[in-house]
Amino acid sequence: MHIPDAFIPIWQGAIYWIIALVFIALALRWARNDMNEEKLPLVAVLAAGIFALQSFNLPVSMGTSGHLVGGALAAIILGSPFAAVFILTLVLIVQAVLFGDGGITVLGANIINMGVIGGFVGFYTFKGLISATKSMPVSVFFAAWLACLIPALACAVEMFLAGTFPLTEGLVAMGIYHAIIGVIEGFVTIAVIYLVTSVRPDLVDTGVKATAGA
Amino acid sequence: MMDNKTFIIAGIVIALLIGAVAVFMASGDPDGLESTALVVQGHKELTGATPEDAEIEEDLTGKFSYESPMPDYSLGEAMGSTGGIIAIVIGTILAFLVVLGFAYGIKVAGKPAKQNQ
Repeated sequence: MHIPDAFIPIWQGAIYWIIALVFIALALRWARNDMNEEKLPLVAVLAAGIFALQSFNLPVSMGTSGHLVGGALAAIILGSPFAAVFILTLVLIVQAVLFGDGGITVLGANIINMGVIGGFVGFYTFKGLISATKSMPVSVFFAAWLACLIPALACAVEMFLAGTFPLTEGLVAMGIYHAIIGVIEGFVTIAVIYLVTSVRPDLVDTGVKATAGA
Repeated sequence: MMDNKTFIIAGIVIALLIGAVAVFMASGDPDGLESTALVVQGHKELTGATPEDAEIEEDLTGKFSYESPMPDYSLGEAMGSTGGIIAIVIGTILAFLVVLGFAYGIKVAGKPAKQNQ
């Protein structure tokens, strides 16, 4: 759901950039104060992994494809939604500047959707579900699924405000496609969390470890 | 338990393998946002396949335009999948280095301030 420059007028892009910068500032503060220095390898490897996984578009039927976004993954495994903002912001900058995947003036909107909304929805859905169900795979799956669907719906609203999509048609199509793409998000997020927990449980946030069988 | 060096190397190798396989295996179908654009522009049915010649119309008035050095994760037609792999390798390593650099820089820059408190 990387929005290209052609989809949002520059002035609206500027507004999203200002909102995004507030969250980027908070993410930098998180990195300085709360990011455990021992977790640096995981933070950097996650960025490489999320970049690679984002290039892998899987067919999801209906003539559409989708890939992992990674907001829920970063937030859950590192124990903070700001981890998602931090990692996704930098990955999205690399994608936009080097590969033209997502625009420049709309980068703020893409950071808000995938980093901020994806990170916060993923993190707090996980928190709520893990205390209710005590099941890591169930909680992670629905957290990641919602962290794909809700940003897509936000994106549809932004497209409406930009005059690019009509509201209802945009919400319906974005919702249907990303409800399916979210299944990829769910399974890949579970797989990566299991993988990292099995080789380096110390790097994984305590909220995940206790229920992942490590 | 895996040490940091092994973890980083293993992580990057896995990421590079995923990226390399993606060059050959990734679906060429439009993503969710592009599909939605095609639907609202009347080039595609909501649940139908995407027609071969379907193209997204872009109104560029009042919009910014930027030419990236490696558009669509490729180095152009002539380089084919080799170019695709080079692009993905550059991107993956760069994502790793940029995030590591930023995170490390912030930690180091944040330290003296903490010591003074």
